[in-house]
Amino acid sequence: GLRVASTTASLKTETEVDTSENEVVAPNFTNRNPRNLEQMALARKERGWKTTWPKREFWHRLRLERTQHYVEAFVERSNGDVVVSASTREWAIKRHLHSPKGVAACKNLGRVMAQRCLEAGINFVNFKAIIPWEHRCDSIQEFEKAMEEGGVVLHEPRRTYR
Amino acid sequence: MAAPLLSAALRGARGGRSFGTAAVLWKRAAPLGPMPNEDVDIGNLEALEKYRSFARYFRLAEQESRKPRWWNTYHKHTNPHAEPQTDIGLPRERLSRAKEIKERKRILRENRRNAEMERAARLRTVLIPLDDVRAEWERTSGPFHKQRVAKHCGLFRDLFKGATFTPWVALRVQYSQEDEHLVPVYYGNMVTPSEASSPPEVSYEADKGSLWTLLLTNPDGHLRDADSEYLHWLVTNIPGSDIKSGKEMCHYLPPFPAMGTGYHRFIFLLFKQHGPIDFSQEARPTPCYSLKMRTFSTFDFYRKHEDAMTPAGLAFFQCQWDSSVTSTFHQLLNMREPVFEFVRPPVYHPPQVKFPRHQPLRYLDRYRDTEEPTYGIY
Repeated sequence: GLRVASTTASLKTETEVDTSENEVVAPNFTNRNPRNLEQMALARKERGWKTTWPKREFWHRLRLERTQHYVEAFVERSNGDVVVSASTREWAIKRHLHSPKGVAACKNLGRVMAQRCLEAGINFVNFKAIIPWEHRCDSIQEFEKAMEEGGVVLHEPRRTYR
Repeated sequence: MAAPLLSAALRGARGGRSFGTAAVLWKRAAPLGPMPNEDVDIGNLEALEKYRSFARYFRLAEQESRKPRWWNTYHKHTNPHAEPQTDIGLPRERLSRAKEIKERKRILRENRRNAEMERAARLRTVLIPLDDVRAEWERTSGPFHKQRVAKHCGLFRDLFKGATFTPWVALRVQYSQEDEHLVPVYYGNMVTPSEASSPPEVSYEADKGSLWTLLLTNPDGHLRDADSEYLHWLVTNIPGSDIKSGKEMCHYLPPFPAMGTGYHRFIFLLFKQHGPIDFSQEARPTPCYSLKMRTFSTFDFYRKHEDAMTPAGLAFFQCQWDSSVTSTFHQLLNMREPVFEFVRPPVYHPPQVKFPRHQPLRYLDRYRDTEEPTYGIY
């Protein structure tokens, strides 16, 4: 509807009084959401660290830790803060498994982790922090397949520079 | 009219300055803490345990890099030290763990003896029931995980100025579409404004006779003031889990993230009331489409009623512009739709020096006030 700033208006209806101030909008908009820039692919990735491995050029990284007793998966930011995690140490997952380590555990951990990542809104994850000769082993391949089937894309989009 | 700007948010506490680690070396003094590898006996290297594999070394190296150090590190520089946060949520119910632990150990022992499970694990055909796992997770470690994700999305910093709470009550929110399709709201997933156009179905476990308050707020979308939020829905004095019988102080307004502003967070907060509270000051008129009346601050709202209610449940989603937002602006809010554009922060150049060393001729272009670069590629 039209809104005219009239000083001679005699009959102001309630809706006009209510919504008359809606049009005033500040020219600069600030979005406080810390996830906004990375979801729009505009946030900076840490581009240094090129002489070391693993590099920190990501927004979220998926790290799989396989120990002698458990398997754990973490999605973390480049400063090290863990956002989503899943491990066979948790009772919810441990009770359905025969053993908390091994290929079957990795596969099911991948399915649970994919579900939790999608629930937290993390659709793109960097999965480069695995040692190359370990990447070929069955447990990590099953974990990767389970994450892909769960709907998480294992490479992050390139940042838009223009 | 020039396009309104969207300034990039959150660069950390740096302020553009870098840090150096050489300050300690200007004066000869004892180090301020233990030096690395001090505990390794260099004289007897053969007796040390060797790594024998890269994986073992890598794991240890990652753990060491995450430890806090007494010298200045890039991590300390980019993550300013956070003060200990006050907990404003419900107290944790500490049940006797002995029986629970015994029961769990028994189940694990049975699992290990079960031949079928062993065969399924060996042949890698095990598929655990994800629904059961999720239900158990919501009861055990769910609240902590949700609190962690909420902290990383900046909810506690923006809504409660740093005070945290653990959402013990599992809040299930679902938007139902026309084709019987349900869009759930978890902790941070994407929901479009067209999917969120009508009030959702909210359910949670509640004792009979308890009173609750449900609040939907948007801390990012304010068009005038960056520090305040928009109130989208407020239902108070809800008996049990029946939202319809609660008193609706502010009717549901569908989300309207403006075009070009990116993703906004929409947060459902569930407060547990200790008794019936009078919210007459928060009452908005029934068709309330005035943004001024919808301007809200969760911090002040909670401060006013903090003795009578505590936050117990949390669910939030991320929302981006789509075509239904245009109709919300035109029909419901009765205003022209604002459109924003992302403006990148200006490129940083160090202060200009009279005799720059090893710089090309275009060095002068960087400090010229007018836009045209006169020296081209030279």
